[in-house]
Amino acid sequence: MNREVPYWNPYLERLTRDSLERLQLKKFKQIVNWAYDKSRFHRALYQSAGVHPDDINSLADVGRVPKVEKAMMQPIQRKDPFPYGDALCVDLEDVCVFRQTSGTTGQPVYQPDTWQDWEWWSDCWATLLWAQGYRPSDRVFLPFGYNVFVAFWAAHYASEKIGCETIPGGVLDTKSRILKIQELQATALMATPTYVLGMADTARNQLHLDPAALPITKITCAGEPGALIPATKKRIEEAWGAKVYDHAGATEIGAWGFECASQPGALHVNEAMFLAEVEDVETGKPVTEPGQRGKLIITALDRLAQPCIRFDSKDIVEIGDDRCECGRTYKLFKGGVVGRADDITKVKGVLLAPSAIEDVVRSVQGLGNEYEVIVDKKGDVDNITLKVELIEDQAGTAMEELKAELATQLRLKTNLGYNLEFFPPKSLPRYEVKARRFKDLRKRGI
Amino acid sequence: MEGQHSLTEMRKTVDSLATLARQLYEASEDFPAVNRNIKRVLASVEMLKINLEET
Repeated sequence: MNREVPYWNPYLERLTRDSLERLQLKKFKQIVNWAYDKSRFHRALYQSAGVHPDDINSLADVGRVPKVEKAMMQPIQRKDPFPYGDALCVDLEDVCVFRQTSGTTGQPVYQPDTWQDWEWWSDCWATLLWAQGYRPSDRVFLPFGYNVFVAFWAAHYASEKIGCETIPGGVLDTKSRILKIQELQATALMATPTYVLGMADTARNQLHLDPAALPITKITCAGEPGALIPATKKRIEEAWGAKVYDHAGATEIGAWGFECASQPGALHVNEAMFLAEVEDVETGKPVTEPGQRGKLIITALDRLAQPCIRFDSKDIVEIGDDRCECGRTYKLFKGGVVGRADDITKVKGVLLAPSAIEDVVRSVQGLGNEYEVIVDKKGDVDNITLKVELIEDQAGTAMEELKAELATQLRLKTNLGYNLEFFPPKSLPRYEVKARRFKDLRKRGI
Repeated sequence: MEGQHSLTEMRKTVDSLATLARQLYEASEDFPAVNRNIKRVLASVEMLKINLEET
């Protein structure tokens, strides 16, 4: 096999726009037909909207198909065919693996997959790992809890499919994982940005070991934004002496987006396997122009057991200009997932994305990696507090200078003033999987 | 390798693989070791079809 080929799939990854759209329309019609025939949930949804699969004759017709939200999946599950209920499209005997969402936004959604679905999941992951330079010569360390959450399971299978030597680093504490990386001379690592930064801290502070001295050359981050937030990417790359790449996906969707080795500051959408639409958060109208932001509505074009058709991902993305030196023709989302529709909110009348705060916190020298943002109300006025951790205890002039710089940068990047609270090193909460650093207490009526 | 001719040839080969795999699947109802392994082969063949699907 020629390892120099830069594409996992040299045919699909370089299709012309016309060919890609023809393929997407063909596949979209197939998956809608499949769901209409096999899923009681989808058939009822489409019938109530007055839409039949035969009505879809162009990509412009895609918008006629009703969207699906996570909240619509929760009530149809835990019923026969148990536990998946009305959206299951295959015989229960063909389901070979169970996963579930984390449940951070309510009751977890169960996700059935057949072996064919797993082949597809792992192929989507293989596409992104190959694009990031993973080859059979790599020794890949996966430090995650191998359990009911999908996390990096498909990455594990993809790593094996590529032919990498794949090390399952589950059920070990962080120190043991770092020592295992050192012992086995692993060359690549995959985890959330939060955990990768935490590992670097643990290596330095508890093992007195410089993570940059380990043989890790590339890190794939997923699970939360960060690897495409410039200041966070820089911190991780400097800490580990490695290239850091972003990836986006979800349990109900699949591995839909990836940063390639050219690091264009954007995610490619795997358009041969997914149809990505972007709509205005408030009007629901399509967003298509470079520089515009909107909410991602996505279809997994080949996922069969429990189809994902026009799923409201709640991810906020920005349309890119679709030019990347890697040669892929897949569209780009600049900055990756720049926020969640649930999190992007107006504070004092200003639209605020928490990722912008992270970019500031991690670009200011003297501040640690951990922070917390709390929005509440004082009377009728919005109040925003930023809690940040210091790298080392500071006082006097140095502290005042740090505070002034942080306030200035925050004002410049987010157009807001903050109550700033500083905390000693290692005093704010640590997260091993998905960090929840943004808390809008106004939504709870507190 | 990705010229139109070789894509066409690869698609033909995948179709042949699919036919063979289906034959083995149907012939192995009473032979779990063959039946379950060929079921996985069929899933891989489907993935090959997706990887080479015509636009």
